[in-house]
Amino acid sequence: MVITPVHYIAFPLLAAFLIPLIGKINRQAARIIPGIVLSYLAFVSVNLMIEVQSVGFITETLAGWKAPWGINLVFSKFSGLLATLISFMGLIIWAYSFNFKKVDTAISLKYQTLQMMMVTGALGMVLTGDIFNLFVFLEIVAISAYSLTALYRNRDGAEAAFKYLLIGSFASAFILLGIIILYTQVGTLNMAEISVRMVDVSIGMKTLIFTLFAVGFGIEAEIFPLNGWAPDAYSQAPGPIGAAFAAIVVKAGVYALIRVIFTIFDLDVASEFLIYAGFVTMVIAELSALRQTNLKRMLAYSSIGQMGFVLVAFGIGTQTAVVGALFLMFNHAVIKGLLFMSGSYLVYDTPGKEINALKGIAKQLPIVSFFFALGAFAIVGLPPFAGFWAKLWVLTAAAEKEMIMLIVIILLISVVEIVYYFRVLNKLYFDKRKEGVEVIKPTVQAFASMSVLAVTIIVVGLYPDIILGFLKNASDTLMDKSIYIKNVLGENMN
Amino acid sequence: MRKYLVIGLLAIIGYFLIGAFAEIPFGANRIGDPAAESTVSGYYLNNTVPKTKVANVITAIVVNYRGFDTLGEVTVLFLAVTGLGSILFRRKEEGEADRIQLSASPLINSGAKLLYPMVVLLGIYVFIHGHLTPGGGFQGGAIIATGFLLMMISYRDFKVSHGKLAWVESLAGITFVTLGFWGLFSGGTFLENFLPNGEVNQLISGGVIPVIYIAVGLKVAAELIGVLDTLLKIKPEQR
Repeated sequence: MVITPVHYIAFPLLAAFLIPLIGKINRQAARIIPGIVLSYLAFVSVNLMIEVQSVGFITETLAGWKAPWGINLVFSKFSGLLATLISFMGLIIWAYSFNFKKVDTAISLKYQTLQMMMVTGALGMVLTGDIFNLFVFLEIVAISAYSLTALYRNRDGAEAAFKYLLIGSFASAFILLGIIILYTQVGTLNMAEISVRMVDVSIGMKTLIFTLFAVGFGIEAEIFPLNGWAPDAYSQAPGPIGAAFAAIVVKAGVYALIRVIFTIFDLDVASEFLIYAGFVTMVIAELSALRQTNLKRMLAYSSIGQMGFVLVAFGIGTQTAVVGALFLMFNHAVIKGLLFMSGSYLVYDTPGKEINALKGIAKQLPIVSFFFALGAFAIVGLPPFAGFWAKLWVLTAAAEKEMIMLIVIILLISVVEIVYYFRVLNKLYFDKRKEGVEVIKPTVQAFASMSVLAVTIIVVGLYPDIILGFLKNASDTLMDKSIYIKNVLGENMN
Repeated sequence: MRKYLVIGLLAIIGYFLIGAFAEIPFGANRIGDPAAESTVSGYYLNNTVPKTKVANVITAIVVNYRGFDTLGEVTVLFLAVTGLGSILFRRKEEGEADRIQLSASPLINSGAKLLYPMVVLLGIYVFIHGHLTPGGGFQGGAIIATGFLLMMISYRDFKVSHGKLAWVESLAGITFVTLGFWGLFSGGTFLENFLPNGEVNQLISGGVIPVIYIAVGLKVAAELIGVLDTLLKIKPEQR
């Protein structure tokens, strides 16, 4: 059997429809099958990544109709990189969720199915070459995310999920409206063909469509002021889902925004928007993170701030900056994943998930605390870790463009990050533990998945060249949209 | 103050949207326009009937050209049902709640009994003829679900078996994906039409298109019935 990108979507869907039936025979199936599927997706990723390095571009038509008549999937060096990242993070989060708290008990055997579908939706968003198909997969991600947020079925979880549902529906409506108006202007839904025909669209229409997309995808990508749902959803959702939001959902949102901007609109128009939006998001989110007393909310704000940083880097728009931005996205997925995973065990059942309740917990949970500390060091960008290299690339790009103010602000924001992360570390390691407080040791699977992430952080930090080649290829593919158009439309180009 | 701000914001958004929609030539005749041949819609209108032998072009677009989207939409509905089930799921010790206790009048009772089989039959008709007449899987499924809703509000002891619904839902979903794979393995692409197309306007025509639409119809019906039953069973204090 030849491995093609459609396996990313078809196998999880088949599994999702099979699980209710197999679950009747063996209840464990609902937990195991998603893991098998996600492992297979990781295997597909590795295969396709190897293939794409030699052939350069993989496109796949669906239902026998060539692009623009039908829908196509695109596994380029850029979308492939993100698909690989998402599928591996999905697998790691599945392993972590195993036997995690109430998530994975008989009550909610549907958890694993929903988590697998969230990963699948994100993969579909990244791989599709059709803008309406992108919307459909965004819906798949969003619907699974809403129900996963409310999974604990308590008052706060329901509130967070409802808020997310309202704002998310708003985003969907905006994107759909944008797609409708775009279709009336260009008469096609294929992104490559839209890109070709976009020259005929009036500037007023372009602005309107761009605004609709920016608001819609901006909500998923957590741009200020559209990120009101994020802190609640992150802190109320089960721990593994917080990690999945940071590692998968936001990545897909940012991908959609970037794909739309780089392929459909001209970057020159949008780059200022990206820089300002990212800048404001970054500053406000990081300052909010400083004030949080709830560990998960702090991580959520930190996550929003990081995404703002990514947008700034994309906005700078040079090759160096895009490599930096992709590096930041990779780092954020791995490191924030680790922070959420270890953080979830630190605050396991404490009612308010208060940072103050963590005093001296490092003595009881030395390894989990070490993972958290490693993540904190890496995310603020201390030299031997992965975070440092990404920041360096972005700063270099900013320096090449002589954006002095930006550099100053980024460095100041880094100081803010250091303050709030080290405040937590200080509590973990140097405060006295209250007597008789129980802690929960992580399960074997959770321990293994955290170790994988920790090793990745250290190895990439010491040898950044391992992934830099992929990142450079990805940024070249992203920035030259003629490659995309030529490969997708082929001879159909008109 | 806040109210006025919201109204002002809506007015601004509305102004721009009206301006945009005023420019869009909705309803323009594109069938006879040779210039439209190059656009996707022109291609669909000119080529669907000869190439796929499906009389209802919209069905061909939904199930064949953009069948992948439909698979996604079916999944969205599936996830909504799964999510609803996992959130509103009650543990056994909480006790199975009955539906709200409302007694319907005899008029509604007998009327519902009379209408119920006909509504279901209409739904089945709509999705079986999806490739010939307006309508299709989603519409037919929704019609069937309304038939069940009629029974649920008329008879409080009308029970639907979630087990059976799950079977229908899963098998229909599996059918859809399996047909997709069949296309892929028989030397084509995922969801490719691998059956003979037949003649236009025949009940058996259009290859896999009617088969997929029947699966979609059954799936949508089962899912919507499940949603209705789950929501109707919420205890009054949970509302």
